[in-house]
Amino acid sequence: MRKFGRLTVGAASAAVVALTLTACGGGSGGGDDAASDGPITWMSLLHTPTTPDADGPIQTALEEYTGTEFEMRWVPAASVEEKLNAALASGSLADIVNMYPIDSTTVRQALTSGQFWDVEEYLDDFPNLSQIDPQTLESARIDGELYGVPLQKIKARYGVVVRQDWLDNLGLEVPHTIEDLAAVAHAFTHDDPDGNGKNDTTGFIDREESFRVGFRSLTGYFGAGSQFEVTDDGQVVPAFTTDAFKEAMEWYRGVYEDGAVNQEFVTLQKSNQQDAIAQGKGGIVVTGLFEAKNYMALAQNANPETPMEWALVNDITYGDVPRRILTDTTGGMGGWLAFPKSEVKDEAELKNVLGFVDKLIDEEAYGLMTNGIEGTHYELDGDGVVTVTDQAAWEQQVQPYAASRPSEKVVTYNSSTPYVNEANEKMVENEDYVVTNPAQSLTSETFNRQWSTIEQQVNDAYNQYITGQIEMADYEAVIESLRGQGLDQIIEEYTAAYAAANG
Amino acid sequence: MSAATTAPPTVSATSAITERPQGRRRPQRPSFWRHRTLYLMALPGIAYFLVFKYAPMGGLVIAFQDYLPFLGIGGSPWVGFDHFVRFFTEDTFLLLLRNTITISLLLLVFAFPVPIILALLLNEVRTRAFKRSVQTVIYLPHFMSWVIVVSIFYVLLSTDGGAVNNIIVEAGGSPVPFLTDPDWLRPMYVFQEIWKGAGWGTIVYLAAMTAVDVQLYEAAELDGAGRMRQTWHITLPAIRPTIIVMFILAIGDFLELGFEHMFLVMNSLNRQVGDIFDTYVYTAGIQNGQLSYAAAVGFFKGLVGLVLVIMANRLAKRFGEEGVY
Repeated sequence: MRKFGRLTVGAASAAVVALTLTACGGGSGGGDDAASDGPITWMSLLHTPTTPDADGPIQTALEEYTGTEFEMRWVPAASVEEKLNAALASGSLADIVNMYPIDSTTVRQALTSGQFWDVEEYLDDFPNLSQIDPQTLESARIDGELYGVPLQKIKARYGVVVRQDWLDNLGLEVPHTIEDLAAVAHAFTHDDPDGNGKNDTTGFIDREESFRVGFRSLTGYFGAGSQFEVTDDGQVVPAFTTDAFKEAMEWYRGVYEDGAVNQEFVTLQKSNQQDAIAQGKGGIVVTGLFEAKNYMALAQNANPETPMEWALVNDITYGDVPRRILTDTTGGMGGWLAFPKSEVKDEAELKNVLGFVDKLIDEEAYGLMTNGIEGTHYELDGDGVVTVTDQAAWEQQVQPYAASRPSEKVVTYNSSTPYVNEANEKMVENEDYVVTNPAQSLTSETFNRQWSTIEQQVNDAYNQYITGQIEMADYEAVIESLRGQGLDQIIEEYTAAYAAANG
Repeated sequence: MSAATTAPPTVSATSAITERPQGRRRPQRPSFWRHRTLYLMALPGIAYFLVFKYAPMGGLVIAFQDYLPFLGIGGSPWVGFDHFVRFFTEDTFLLLLRNTITISLLLLVFAFPVPIILALLLNEVRTRAFKRSVQTVIYLPHFMSWVIVVSIFYVLLSTDGGAVNNIIVEAGGSPVPFLTDPDWLRPMYVFQEIWKGAGWGTIVYLAAMTAVDVQLYEAAELDGAGRMRQTWHITLPAIRPTIIVMFILAIGDFLELGFEHMFLVMNSLNRQVGDIFDTYVYTAGIQNGQLSYAAAVGFFKGLVGLVLVIMANRLAKRFGEEGVY
């Protein structure tokens, strides 16, 4: 009898399994069908803490202007890599997918897997898409193929921002060389620049991503390349193996040991970094020049009387190295807008979606996604100066869309917000000195497979070196040990690809 | 499948108990039909395990493939044990094994006894109100997510203005880099585990203690046994089976430390002691997109856990205890 019972339960459970399996299959099939009929879906990056309402004013206005219904699926920028990996793995994509970051192995593998449309031949049919900067297009190609529309950006937006009011308090000049920068950092740390009588300030406020972001930009002044560089004998090598990079590391460690970098930067997240800057814990940030206005806004939020003033420096030089700046936008592009064949089923649908993207580059759509709606979010005066009138509403309703603009350089608006015009001018100046990554449009199998692992280990070694856990010899030993794990092969493959491309 | 063999025992065990008295009266009816309401009650539970625990196990086959999301399980090429070979031959394997075992042992030695000791202490408290309030206060941290717990510790322990370091500096010491020093990671990890989990863990033991016959204590008292002797000779032996069951369960989680906690406290500077199998699965699989490889690592981890549970259970039975199955 008991045996009988056991059998029945067995059969019942098998039936349950079968039922669940069919239910799952049916469910996902239904989802696909719905996607092709409904509005255009768009997986895009979110750089703000909250998402805008789907029926908010900007989305409504954009739908009206483009004549296309669309639905945003926001992916928080901080976790984009894992979210994108999960979406690619489960096949739950959208009609338009922001593929970012551009050096991510998964992103590149997915793009070249043949599952996304090659858009090259269609671009000329559209008024705006046919105007994309050729250098940016070149950066966006992978082995000559264009698997998405590049999100166009200014090629180098970075610089160093320094607290002008602190410089004035201490009677110092704005630094334009690495030596002066170190001197200012020292003074900011030890000479009580905010005059509160306490030893509570540092020079640099850096964060967790130092190796990939802030410090990386500094290495450019020392002569290091952007990710990769071509040596005199035609080898394509990673920047972190070069002497210039190591020289920058030695310099930065000296600054760190002096106490002039926040001591626990390896645990500091971006938002905490911004808070620390707004609270006046440090006076030097290596960052996008456009950030000065954000720091200002944050500080004024906390204290409307804040004495904060910023100097925006874009011309730091070191020794006899000529003025240069590393691209922070991978050669003027911030990822691809890619169109998976599983969602965008045929050419007609692709042209429809491309038409939508093209319209977003029109001045009117650009204005909506940049400033918002006149009268609600901003006002325009006779000189064409844009003043954001409702900062809170702008942050909530407009700012999230700004990072989804297919081009960030359609119009440069005059602004009454302090530091905006200055930052815009200095970023344009930067364009003449940009250093880009020579390996970006090349392909190396080993790079795709191993780079994230290698970069992670070098990143760790860098952090350990700066904080004094290991010495330069140990850092070099880490790099040597990585040579066997694919680093040498990457150099070899890129060198061959580079030679083939540049004859 | 294994689903059919594992699910029934619990059900037939329950039915076996209820079966006997009625079974004698009407032996001709099939027991399944007679206990249909019991089966019906078990159904949601069984369905839950099948759908959320057993069905996803099918995905483990990608550990033997070079899984590409676009090709799916059906279309991806088979590679046999390649991923396992790569894993066992890589340098990271020994590092991960060492870190995982060290932390698991530390947890077994330091964190496992804490709830028992706490429960024994609470058991001796005679003021009901006091006992209740202490119990509530110490198990509250269990309901906080790791993000909150780690954030609290971050604010307390940071060298850039953390409360603990401020006190150390005021007292004339130099700041201690709790968050970045590799030597501090393990103590901090174990301390956080205890802080969050110990109170919750006492509930099971306290429940076991309520089952102890009060007459035993009275008799012992007459014989002149003090508090300590009563605890040693009555309370502890009474909860021994519970301790052993909890221990076997803890052994089963030996390699399964949980991803979230370690991921949150780990950074570049303490990674060499902090990287464990769970975090490695995440970095290899989700961040670097090597899904098959990560699946192989996870598979290995699960197998080791299974073997350990079986061994611990055998051992418990050999010493005359009940075990978990």
